[in-house]
Amino acid sequence: MRGARAALAGGGLVLLAAWPWVAPPYFVFLASVVLVNAVVAIGLNLLSGYTHQLSFGHAGFLAIGAYTAALLTLHAPAVPAPLTLLLAGAATALVGVAFGVPCLRLGGLYLAMATLAFGFVITEAILNLDTLTRGADGLRVPTAQVAGVPLASDTARYYLVLPVTAVLVAAAVGVVRTRTGRAFLAIRESEIAAQASGVNVALYKTIAFGVSAFYTGVAGGLFGFVVGFLSPDAFDVFLSVDFVVMIIVGGLGSVPGSVAGAAVVTLLHDGLAGFQDLRPLIFGAILIGCMLFMPGGIASALRPLGRR
Amino acid sequence: MRHALRLVTLAVLLLVAAPALAQPGVTDAEIVLGCSNSFSGPLAFTGEQATRYGVDLYFRVVNEQGGIHGRKVRTVYYDDGYKPQDAVANTRKLVEQDGVFAVIAPQGTAPVAATLGYLEDNKVPLLFPFQGSPITRGRKWVFSGMTLYDRQARMMIDYLVGERKLRAFAALYQDDEYGKAFLTAFQQDLGRHQLKLAAAEPVKRGATDVSAQMARLQAAKPEVVVLVLTPGPGAQALRERQKIGWTDTLMVSSGPLTDERYLALAGAAAEGVEGLSLWPDPVASTLPGVVAYREAMQKHFGKNEPNRYSLSGYFAAMLFTEGARRAGRNLTRESLVTALESVKGWESGILPAVSIGPDHETQKQGFWVRVEQGRFRPLTDWLKSE
Repeated sequence: MRGARAALAGGGLVLLAAWPWVAPPYFVFLASVVLVNAVVAIGLNLLSGYTHQLSFGHAGFLAIGAYTAALLTLHAPAVPAPLTLLLAGAATALVGVAFGVPCLRLGGLYLAMATLAFGFVITEAILNLDTLTRGADGLRVPTAQVAGVPLASDTARYYLVLPVTAVLVAAAVGVVRTRTGRAFLAIRESEIAAQASGVNVALYKTIAFGVSAFYTGVAGGLFGFVVGFLSPDAFDVFLSVDFVVMIIVGGLGSVPGSVAGAAVVTLLHDGLAGFQDLRPLIFGAILIGCMLFMPGGIASALRPLGRR
Repeated sequence: MRHALRLVTLAVLLLVAAPALAQPGVTDAEIVLGCSNSFSGPLAFTGEQATRYGVDLYFRVVNEQGGIHGRKVRTVYYDDGYKPQDAVANTRKLVEQDGVFAVIAPQGTAPVAATLGYLEDNKVPLLFPFQGSPITRGRKWVFSGMTLYDRQARMMIDYLVGERKLRAFAALYQDDEYGKAFLTAFQQDLGRHQLKLAAAEPVKRGATDVSAQMARLQAAKPEVVVLVLTPGPGAQALRERQKIGWTDTLMVSSGPLTDERYLALAGAAAEGVEGLSLWPDPVASTLPGVVAYREAMQKHFGKNEPNRYSLSGYFAAMLFTEGARRAGRNLTRESLVTALESVKGWESGILPAVSIGPDHETQKQGFWVRVEQGRFRPLTDWLKSE
């Protein structure tokens, strides 16, 4: 059985790597969007699935990463795209930590409200810093460059998104084996028990905010390159809710679940676009169905299969 | 010999058919158009009316009469909920998967701006977007829809200062691109008359209380207060004015706020409000084109009330049809652009004669109205701007 699983995983990876050669450009673009959302979902999952800090403001982190990367590319075009993404992630992580520290006192509903407010604050900031961000007129994102080669096609951009996503997924899976990861797991099981066992809960919850923001910031940079245009309208509360939906549908606390959840939500939105005004209704109905029949998300629904 | 003849015939047939085959969105039997628009979110009503009850309404009439040079028109719409990234994805889908001939009547500055580069790079015509920012001006493959905001502002200020001899102006504006674009335009136009805005108060998008701003505006004692707002705060401002008893100022609405349905939100407080209307009264106008529009609406969508948004979509489809007719049976994206550029002094029965010049603006007019007992009374004939 393990051999079959490995073969399936291997086949999936080959398909992912060869995707631009088999799929039309629109579906390469769509695949890039799925991967970008997967990175955000993993980041949000690190925060919400492990340290129980539910965030309804992750569109704000996405925006910070997107605008940072876009402005860096605009004003410092010599910096290669991977480094730009790293810097965007770092900047977002700083904001994440700065925001996470005062939020340590908050829990549950109050934290959700705080993150909700955070999302709105970021959008307003983008609108008001309009000399830098071009405000509500929107910012056209310049073409990303790697080693002097402009990433001017969907395929080229996909081959930037794919390895970055792969690295971040591997890191998320691997983190469980580290000290930090074990601390996260302990906090997930019981904050009080973890504290009693000597885990510095406050520190790790803050680290979780920072790491989550880093992931989302990098995803934001990729988002900017893939979509090509940024405006405050792009990062509203509904996008934040979409990310929460992704991790709940995928399964809280599961990295493969986050990826699956991101894929499901992105592809659903795309597939439903033709239903026009019925889109929110159908999307909502499907979500309710998921929650009724798969309350633990896709990850828990598929877990029995993996255990054989 | 017969073999060679067959090859030559095949080659000739292919050459003749090639333009039709090679042109996306045009087959022997149909033309495919579409757009990404708001069917959910803040502008869902406008989006749905302009497309399904506007563009589609006119094409139903056209298709019933045999289509354009024998081709029926089919439309494809996707919802973007006013999100630019969804507009990008939908527009790419329309061009690459659905193979539309042109994009017609999308909505919103941000969603349209996000797709502009892509459509231009791929030489896909962007026709009559329902948005007023000047980004659509003077581009080869783009034809503007509504009278652009800077032109509207100029017409308004020229009328108020020139005709009505008013001098002290203030503005209550939405604190986003739409509001700031109008505000900048007003400041520039007042500057041309050697005037300055006495006061300008911003309102956050989605705000419901404008009492503080109105109080500050009143202190500046303007003769005119221009409202650059969405319907909710707009109605609030009008009710607030009535509440504080501020009667010695003229309230002027701008842009899409100038619609009976929106001003009706303020009830009696909207009495006496004036503005620049871009469309004839869709319910009451006796212009032949508007009458035909109402008849078509009654026939195909009897339960839907005529309004300016569906009228603007209906007009967009009408203008497309005129361009496609002029381009002839050999319809290509290039020939459509050339045909639209040849439109001079064209009568639609809805708007004054349309002439499309190098700026590719299809509308450059409005007329002044005042709200009297819930309906607009025209105060002027069509004001034009060049």
